[in-house]
Amino acid sequence: MKPRRVLLIPLDPVHDVGLKMIHRHLMEHEHQSLLLAPDLPVDEIVRSARSYAPEVVLVSRTIGYGAGELLSRLIDALDQAGVRDHARVAVGGMAVRRELAAELGFDAGFGPGTTVEEAVAYVEGRQADNAGANPLRERIDLTSGHSYEWKHTRIRDLAAEIGQEALDWAMRRTSPGVRRAHLRTAMLDGGGEASQEARTEYLKLADPMILAGYLRGEPAPRTRFMTREEIGRGAADPKDAGSGAEAGPAEALPARWKKPRPAVFIQYGTGCPLLDSAHIKVAEAWGADGVVHFDPSWGARREGFLEGHVTHEEDGTVITPENLRLISASRAPHTLWQVRAHRGLNTPETVVLAASAGADLTKINIAYGSLGAGTDPERLTVDGVECLVLAAQHGLPYDVVTNEELCGVPSYKAFAAMLTVAWMGLYLGGRPVLQPLFCNSPEVMVGQQMDDNYVDFNVAKVIALRRIMDAPLWPGAPVGFLTHTGDRVQSATTTALHAALASSLGVDGVSIASSDEAYSGGPISAMARLDTLRATRESLRFFGNAGIAPTPQALEWAEILVERIEQTLEAAALRGSFVSSLYEGVFGSRQDGAYPGRAGRGTVTMR
Amino acid sequence: MKAKDRVMDALDVETFLVSASEAEARALGLLLMHELGFKDADVVFVEFRGCGARIRLRTYMNRPGDTYSWQEAHLR
Repeated sequence: MKPRRVLLIPLDPVHDVGLKMIHRHLMEHEHQSLLLAPDLPVDEIVRSARSYAPEVVLVSRTIGYGAGELLSRLIDALDQAGVRDHARVAVGGMAVRRELAAELGFDAGFGPGTTVEEAVAYVEGRQADNAGANPLRERIDLTSGHSYEWKHTRIRDLAAEIGQEALDWAMRRTSPGVRRAHLRTAMLDGGGEASQEARTEYLKLADPMILAGYLRGEPAPRTRFMTREEIGRGAADPKDAGSGAEAGPAEALPARWKKPRPAVFIQYGTGCPLLDSAHIKVAEAWGADGVVHFDPSWGARREGFLEGHVTHEEDGTVITPENLRLISASRAPHTLWQVRAHRGLNTPETVVLAASAGADLTKINIAYGSLGAGTDPERLTVDGVECLVLAAQHGLPYDVVTNEELCGVPSYKAFAAMLTVAWMGLYLGGRPVLQPLFCNSPEVMVGQQMDDNYVDFNVAKVIALRRIMDAPLWPGAPVGFLTHTGDRVQSATTTALHAALASSLGVDGVSIASSDEAYSGGPISAMARLDTLRATRESLRFFGNAGIAPTPQALEWAEILVERIEQTLEAAALRGSFVSSLYEGVFGSRQDGAYPGRAGRGTVTMR
Repeated sequence: MKAKDRVMDALDVETFLVSASEAEARALGLLLMHELGFKDADVVFVEFRGCGARIRLRTYMNRPGDTYSWQEAHLR
C-alpha cells in the first residue's frame, strides 16, 4: 500500500475524537497524516491545505447547527484554492448524512456510526472490510477448550450408573421414531428404488395427518404449501428489496462485542421459511452469532414429518427437509444454526434432517421432553438415546436443555437429569453442552431466591455445574424467562442484563429472546429481535471484561445445589431405573409441576 | 412502490397518550391507529401512570405466509 498524505480537519470546537482515532491509525500504518487544531477559521484551514498538499482530506463536523453553511463555504474555498485538483475531500461526523455530503459537492460522506476502518479504507482507496476478515465473525465451536473432565467423582459415578442402565434399557428397544429416522436416512441417501421402498415403509409409521400430506397433498391445519413462484424466489434476503443502493454494512463487531464468547443466539420461527430467512439476515447484520429454529408444538405430537415447503404456521416453522434446506441456504458462513430435537415423537429424525441440512447444533434432553413437553418418558428415552447416537455419528454438538424448570421442577432435579443425559452423550462419543436456565422460575418465586436480585441464583447454577464437570455452558433458552413484559424497553433491558451476566461468567453461548417475548397477539417482529440484540451488544460493550459481582449468597446456594444434585442422583440410582425415575418423579414430581407426557405411550417395542 | 411496502412485518406506533385510565388509553390508541388508516391494530403494551399512558400499538403490514410487499417491490 502506497503511503498517503492525509489532512484531517475537525470543524467543531472540541468534538474531534473521531479524527484523532483515524489520525493514530493512519500513522500506525505509515501514512502521513496532519491533524489540524479544532475549530480553525476556513481561511486558515485553506492555507494549511495549500502548503501541505494532501492527497486526501477528511473533514469532521458533529454539531448540527450551521453545518450545511460552514461545510459549503469550506468546500468552495478548497475548490478555489486548487486543493481539490489533487485531493479527494470527504466529510463525516454526527451532523453529516451522505445526501448532505453529495449535495454540497464532497467526494464522499460518512454518517454517524462510521468505523475507523471505513475511513481508512477510503483513504487507501479500497472497500472497507468490516466483517469478512474479522476473526470475531468466524463460526464458533462452543465445545472447544473443554475437557469434559468430571470434577465431582461421586456425581460422575452416579450419573454413570444411571446412564449405563438407561442406555442398556434403550438399546434393547425401538420405536416408530427410531425406525423413521433410519428410513429417512435411506430416503436421503439412497437413490431411486431404495429411496422409494424406504418412503413406503416410512408412511406406514406416519400419523394420518402427515400421511394425508404425502398421499393427497393436504397440508396440516393452518398451513399451506408454498407456491412454485414463492419457492423459485428462494430465501428472502431483504437487501434485495433495496433501491439499487449497496447493502448497508454488517456490524463490524458481533453482539458479544470484542469477546470471543459467548456466542449470542436469537430464536426464529415466524411460521414461514421465507420470512425466517429474512429475520436471519437482519439478525446477522445486527451481530447475532447463531440462530435457533423453533418448530410448532403440534409437530412434537404427530408421528412423522411432512415434505415440501410449508408455510403459514403461526406457532413456529414446520420442520420439513425442504424448509430446513431453504433456511440453511440463507445463512452467512459464520452463523451457527441449531435445529432442536429435544421433545416429541420425531426427535431422532430431527437430528437426521438437521445434519442433512447442514445444522451446527441440535438440542436433546430426555427429562425435559418427558416431564415438561408432553412425550411419554419410555418413548422419549428410546428416542432420546437414538438422538444421542445420531448426533455423535453426525458430529453435531447439542445442548441439554433444562426448561422443565419453567414447569416448577427445582433446578437441582433438572440438573441431575441433565448431567445423566450428558454422561450418556459423552459415553456415546457426543459433545453435550450444559444449558442452565437463567430465569425467574417458579422454584425461585416460591423460594424467594430472586427477591433481591437476579444475579446470585443464576451465578450459583454456573458455579455448581463447574464444580461438577468441565463442560461447555450455554445459558438459555432464552435467558431471562419470566422476567419479560410487553414493554420493549424493560424486555430488552432484562434480556441484555442476563446476557451480560452470562458473559461475565465466561460461558460459551447465550440465547436471547426478542422484546416481543411477552406479546401473544401476533408473530414476533424483526425489529423486536433487534431490540434485544442491540441492547445485548450495548450491555456487553458496557461490561467488556469487567465482571458482575454476586453476593456471598451465590456460593452458599451453589453448595446446596451440588448437594441436592447428588441426593437426586442417589435416589435415581437407588430406584435402579432411569425410566421409572422419570415416571415416579425423582427428576421432577407432580407436586413440583412436572407431569410425565402421554404422547407416544405404548409405542415402544423390543428390538 | 410505496414506502409502506418496505415494512418487513410489523409497524409499531409508540407514543404517550394523555388519558384518565388505562382503558381509555387503549381505546384512544386503537382509535389513533384507525385515524392513521390502520384498521387491524392491537395494543402490544400500555402502562398508565399519573396523567397518561405509554403505549405501543401494532399493525402487521406483512404476516408470515403472506406475499411480502418488500419482496414484491424488488421484483417489480
